[in-house]
Amino acid sequence: MPVDNKRVRGPEISQSPLLFLPPDSQISKVSSSSGRQGARGNGDIRPLFARCGLVSQAKGSAYLEAGNTKIICSVYGPRETERKDETDMKSGRLVCDFRLAPFSCPKRGAWIQNAEERDLSTALAESLQPGACLHRYPRAQVDVNVVVLENDGSALAHAVTCASMALADAGIEMYDTVLGCALRQDEERCLVDPDLAEERAESSAENQGRVVVALLPNLNQISGLQADGEMREDSLTAAVRTCVEGCHRLYPVVQQAILRAVKKKAAPPPEK
Amino acid sequence: MATVQVGEAEKVYIMHGVRDDLRVDGRGCEDYRHMEIETDVVSNTDGSAKVSLGQTDILVGIKAEIGKPKPMVPDEGYLEFFVDCSANATPEFEGRGGEELGVELSNNLYKVFNNKHSLDLRSLCICPGEHCWVLYVDVLLLQCDGNLFDAMSIAIKAALFNTRIPKVHISEDEEGGKEIELSDDPYDCMRLNVENVPCIVTLCKIGHRHVVDATLLEKACSVASLLISVTHKGTVTCVRKLGGGSLDPDSIFEMTETGKRVGKMVHAPLMELLQKEESLGRERTKVGFLA
Repeated sequence: MPVDNKRVRGPEISQSPLLFLPPDSQISKVSSSSGRQGARGNGDIRPLFARCGLVSQAKGSAYLEAGNTKIICSVYGPRETERKDETDMKSGRLVCDFRLAPFSCPKRGAWIQNAEERDLSTALAESLQPGACLHRYPRAQVDVNVVVLENDGSALAHAVTCASMALADAGIEMYDTVLGCALRQDEERCLVDPDLAEERAESSAENQGRVVVALLPNLNQISGLQADGEMREDSLTAAVRTCVEGCHRLYPVVQQAILRAVKKKAAPPPEK
Repeated sequence: MATVQVGEAEKVYIMHGVRDDLRVDGRGCEDYRHMEIETDVVSNTDGSAKVSLGQTDILVGIKAEIGKPKPMVPDEGYLEFFVDCSANATPEFEGRGGEELGVELSNNLYKVFNNKHSLDLRSLCICPGEHCWVLYVDVLLLQCDGNLFDAMSIAIKAALFNTRIPKVHISEDEEGGKEIELSDDPYDCMRLNVENVPCIVTLCKIGHRHVVDATLLEKACSVASLLISVTHKGTVTCVRKLGGGSLDPDSIFEMTETGKRVGKMVHAPLMELLQKEESLGRERTKVGFLA
């Protein structure tokens, strides 16, 4: 094949233009910004918008918006399980699929699931499982598909909340709703429900990290816990407590959304 | 995951034992099984270690290669983890059977090392933006008898301690082209500072108590466990709840406290042992795989 020498060929691997920003504007420090966006206090969660039942094809679905984080989730099943080789057939399986839409993050992602998304899928499944009465669905599987449309931080935490709403909407028997809350620790500052800039901000502090907690509010059980970074034990404990509080604050909104969906479904046919 | 079938009566027996701080093999709730560590077991690697913890056997090999630094951090090298669940360990891992577990294990390793102080990645930089050392950490599970995480993290720490990266020299010619020269003296090498490398402690909740270093039998009796990675200073670098059950907030706090205490205690003897092994030098009798 003749090679066109006149044309300037682009690099083989494309890169986001954000990479070429001057270095000082690139790094936004968590500690340098005194206030959070939208006059939010450090312990405040972003206002939440949640609705159930928007995907008509699915058994249950939910949409959730917290700030700019937008998540959609649909639940299919229970249906016959695909994998019959599993030894434990007495209880159903919860198959979670977590995906970040390619355009959801500042840097474009691929359509195929990467290692990070697979890790988030397992984390999601582990958080949701204790909330669902899977023993009621022997030999069956329930599919939970989560797509993050826009990622502005705390995606996993909100995905947990959104998925549990969709499960409730699908009529899957549950012990409790599962609520998720994330936190970013930076030295002594505790930022609840961080946005993407806060979540990803570089920090060389000795005591910094990210925590995600999933909570069953009525049973007061923690169904999911994930933390990374470097934290002292006491600040980790405090962070978990703060996250539990944050979860409780989500509860009324989620409850209302589920109630609304139930009322809509159970509405009597209009009389003529 | 490699699992075993446990009868109801056996479960009750194990749970009652744990309640009285006496486990099936005679250990207390916070005791590890007998552990053996040997470094420098595979000569083709830059660093390697084999750890056996009870019946769990893990081999870690580290290879250093020259690669291109990640665009976001041009002045740092990086680590790549890969965990292979060999079908040697259990027939369940045959084909793609071990893939899921392998991905889970390696993802957790990335999380454990996802901070600035665990390992000085800047020391892996050769030429900012152009060349850096990439450490491929390959973990091979030879035998599984529970508590893969702890054994794996100890093996990785030992292998990193054992790693010797050859020194490189960058020379520039008249046209500004850079050339990398590798030192041909095998003793002219760089060592890694592994002081801050964390160790993982997995705590299994059994009944109302939690146990350290659970065997497969004990694991089958628990619904949820907590993974905590702790540095020698007691800093927690990663926490994760594993398994399909949920945990009470108070028990999580208790478990993190135990995890930190146990984890801190692992580091000093481990470093002492590694240094002692190294001081033996060439006179050391190699044990190998037939221990």
